[in-house]
Amino acid sequence: MKSCLVVDNSKMIRRVAGRILSDLRFDTKEAENGQQALVQCRTEMPDAILLDWNMPVMDGLSFLRLLRGEPKGEKPVVLFCTSERDVSKITAALEAGADEYIMKPFDSDIITSKLQQAGLLTP
Amino acid sequence: MSSVFSLRPSYYEALKRLTLELAGIHLGDDHAFLVETRLSALARTEGYQSLTHLVDDLFSEGNTRLAVKVVSSLLERDTHFNPDPQSLVAVEDYLLPALYNHPDNKRIRILSFASSSGQEAYSLAIQVDKFKQRYPNAHIEIIGADYPSPAMDRAKEGRYTHFEVQRGLPIRDLITYFERIGEDWKVKDNLRSLVTFRECNLLSSLDKLGQFDLVLFRNSLSSYSSPARIRVTRSLSNVVKPEGFLMFGFDESLPQVNYGFEILLEYPHIMRKKAVIIEEPEEEDYRPTIMPEEFVPEKTLRRQ
Repeated sequence: MKSCLVVDNSKMIRRVAGRILSDLRFDTKEAENGQQALVQCRTEMPDAILLDWNMPVMDGLSFLRLLRGEPKGEKPVVLFCTSERDVSKITAALEAGADEYIMKPFDSDIITSKLQQAGLLTP
Repeated sequence: MSSVFSLRPSYYEALKRLTLELAGIHLGDDHAFLVETRLSALARTEGYQSLTHLVDDLFSEGNTRLAVKVVSSLLERDTHFNPDPQSLVAVEDYLLPALYNHPDNKRIRILSFASSSGQEAYSLAIQVDKFKQRYPNAHIEIIGADYPSPAMDRAKEGRYTHFEVQRGLPIRDLITYFERIGEDWKVKDNLRSLVTFRECNLLSSLDKLGQFDLVLFRNSLSSYSSPARIRVTRSLSNVVKPEGFLMFGFDESLPQVNYGFEILLEYPHIMRKKAVIIEEPEEEDYRPTIMPEEFVPEKTLRRQ
């Protein structure tokens, strides 16, 4: 079973995303911000990370830059999942090492499609 | 049919017959919700008080213009960008190189048949643009064909919601080929210029569209009635050039009739039209008295 860490300061988003990922047979864990996520990744690197941008303590972009410098930090497929829609923000996320980018609001079709593109789900 | 729907069962049956007659497509009983939602929206657009008023007008007045709009609304398919990733891999890895390298191909023409709101045609255009970056001399044109409908209007405009662009479109392709317009995303002009959308009756002759090197007709065949399926397949076979390709959905079962096509072993959902075989005319003054058993009349393979 593939694993996914959902990093978002909104409990609602973590719950909705977690349900969608469970339906897709992912083992899901949660973190409220980038710092918590980094601690979890140092213990066990997930296959995928669904990552919000704006969070207290440590934002998504800072987390991603640190993650990619960690041992095995290149492994997780990182899907930025944020309400930021400017092309400049999307470009910054990709340059920091994001594999895909999801603009909120999202639905299960979008998550499924992005995971398929990342090769974590077969079409 | 459930009583939660406002349409009388007799009207629903009449709409099913109308769709079958005009488009050759069966509407099942499970399409009742779709009929209600699509036609309610059409009723509002057309200025009717309710769906029932629209259907009353349709059947009591025999309003042909309205009949076409009704059927077009009912047939609009929910399409995604990059549908069937396996199919697009075949286009990129096999079909475009094969067509480009064919000695007779000066210009490659691709038809997205039943193009609906255009996502398939634009997905192809993205692949074509990437192909042209490797082969700048390639001249490739994409035509999307479907009934006139609100979906066709959206295809021509090339404007999609953020939900639509995120279903199937990788983020790098989105920011390369689309621009953000408010909450929506619109196809950029350079990609838009690769695609032309043509309104047509999918059941009538397609000759006016010209000949194509590749025709995509994916995931629609099963919704057609048997006679309509044969009719569509036959007209599509006429517009594929010899040695051109006809692609169905990845998991779609192909029609039994082959119309001069052969299935590709590597890609079982793709058929290649055989080259035209022109037999040499027999010379009347030559009648061999002895025919060697291994003799095979010489044939010429010629591409039209």
